[in-house]
Amino acid sequence: MIEAYLIHLLIIIGIYIILAVSLNLAIGYTGLLNLGHIAFFGIGAYVSALLSVNTKLPFLLIFIVAGFLASIFGYILMAATNKLKGDYLALATLGFNFVIYSLFLNWTSLTRGPLGIPGIPRPSIFGLIIQSNFAYLTFVAIVCCLSVGFLYLLVKSPYGTLLQATRDNELACKVLGKNTFKIKWQALAVSAFFAGIAGSLYAHYITFIDPSSFSLYEIILILTIVLIGGLASLKGSIIATIIILLIPEILRFLALPSSILGPTRQIIYALILILILMFRPRGLFGKVDLN
Amino acid sequence: MIVVQLFINGIIAGSIYALVAVGFSLIYSTNRFVHLAHGGFVAVGAYLLYLFFTLFGLNFYISAILAIIVSGFLGWLVYTLVYIPLKKRKASNAVLLIASVGLLILLENLMLLIFGADIKTIKYIQIRKGIEIFGGVITPLQIVIVVLTGILLLLLWIFMKKSHLGKTMRAVADNVDLANIIGINAKKICYLSFIIGTALAGIAGILVALEQNIEPSMGTGLIIKGFTGAIIGGIGSVPGSILGSYLLGLVENFGIWFLPSGYKDAIAFSLLFIFLLFKPAGILGSKGKYEEPKI
Repeated sequence: MIEAYLIHLLIIIGIYIILAVSLNLAIGYTGLLNLGHIAFFGIGAYVSALLSVNTKLPFLLIFIVAGFLASIFGYILMAATNKLKGDYLALATLGFNFVIYSLFLNWTSLTRGPLGIPGIPRPSIFGLIIQSNFAYLTFVAIVCCLSVGFLYLLVKSPYGTLLQATRDNELACKVLGKNTFKIKWQALAVSAFFAGIAGSLYAHYITFIDPSSFSLYEIILILTIVLIGGLASLKGSIIATIIILLIPEILRFLALPSSILGPTRQIIYALILILILMFRPRGLFGKVDLN
Repeated sequence: MIVVQLFINGIIAGSIYALVAVGFSLIYSTNRFVHLAHGGFVAVGAYLLYLFFTLFGLNFYISAILAIIVSGFLGWLVYTLVYIPLKKRKASNAVLLIASVGLLILLENLMLLIFGADIKTIKYIQIRKGIEIFGGVITPLQIVIVVLTGILLLLLWIFMKKSHLGKTMRAVADNVDLANIIGINAKKICYLSFIIGTALAGIAGILVALEQNIEPSMGTGLIIKGFTGAIIGGIGSVPGSILGSYLLGLVENFGIWFLPSGYKDAIAFSLLFIFLLFKPAGILGSKGKYEEPKI
């Protein structure tokens, strides 16, 4: 019993680590205050769910397509908001999130709206069906390690330095002849790709998705994780994911009814977010300030 | 006549958006940050009315006045506890925006915890059969909302144009440095406009509560529309935000002529997106008021 619970927690933590590190690539390393990350997560989840329910395509292909479609949206979002900065960019990306959310909710002929999509099959890779939760955990762990490894190499490479230079002084980068728009859309597309595959992992794990999994609450959760871990620190994001996801689990042992548990969880997240902004805006391992 | 009906629906929706937008944009004009938790305060206003009127059984007008005062007080509390310390740290506008989203979620879940998830209604003005005007139907309650909103917005306009405090607020909104030089205490004005803005959210909450159901998540929905209206009209301009809100209400309702009604929100956000991209200063906002953040 306790084992099943731990495995479930670890799978969720694995998925959120991918989400958190990829958001940190956009906010922390590239300085794009993207509040629409959950939209990419949702796009990945819906694309993956719809393709695997309605077609017979192999899982790995669907998995990659989910990531790529999310990254195309990342490009579109960046192309649309290239001129905006600071709070205007935050508002536009938040608006993007609401547009995608209302599409999930209202495009009923495709997404079934609030009814959601049930019966998403567990993935099968080269004939090997990942049925048990333990096998799924192994799969999530592999994807998570690959994603974090890739992002780690990316931010340590000269290209990563270029991203940070764009964040710190976009004008100076332009003066040096760098195409900052290209750098920014590439960063957002990579960030969105990982959010998309995290969405796919989520959809195939829960086997049911509906629009409520991609609401404003999720944005707060993922932002809190990234800010607590600290901007431009992958290590911070990983540690913060574990801490933040484990905190509300303590509440479970108090045997509160679910009508109290849900709101309390959100109140804790919101309070942590506000307090961290007030007292430690750099988070645990942050290297730069949020601008 | 479907045109008349859509026009009436647009004006009713626009009135409610305008109520939310004016307080939001009043706060933005002096404080210069996006206070998304404003929607949370609209919900708080509605719940306070429910608390005083339905649960405590007080007279409606006393309940309404109490709700407005308590909303203003809570606004003061939040400003002192959260925004002032953040401003002292010289936090960027983006940080204040994220804090305000956190506050919005906090308020919403506090309401959920205190009052529960079930929908509440205020039965002060009974819903009666609608009146026909040029082939469109409008209920007496909706007429009350539209007229009251109109009066309120007019009073606010007179206050901003004629009163000393209103003029000072506009001076701070126009140029903080100049206002400071001529001896205006800009910090105090920011404080006051935040409190007045939140009290306006309380009033909006009361009027919304008369027309719609009260539920904890109402604030998020309302602020999305309110700030969309404000951005369309010019975020730092109170008359602009009123214009933008009515425009939004009309566009949304005429939009469902072509699209299913579920797409109302998507129409609103698309409009928001278009304005953010092509005219971030809005219709009435001057170019100079949209400040590029310093690199």
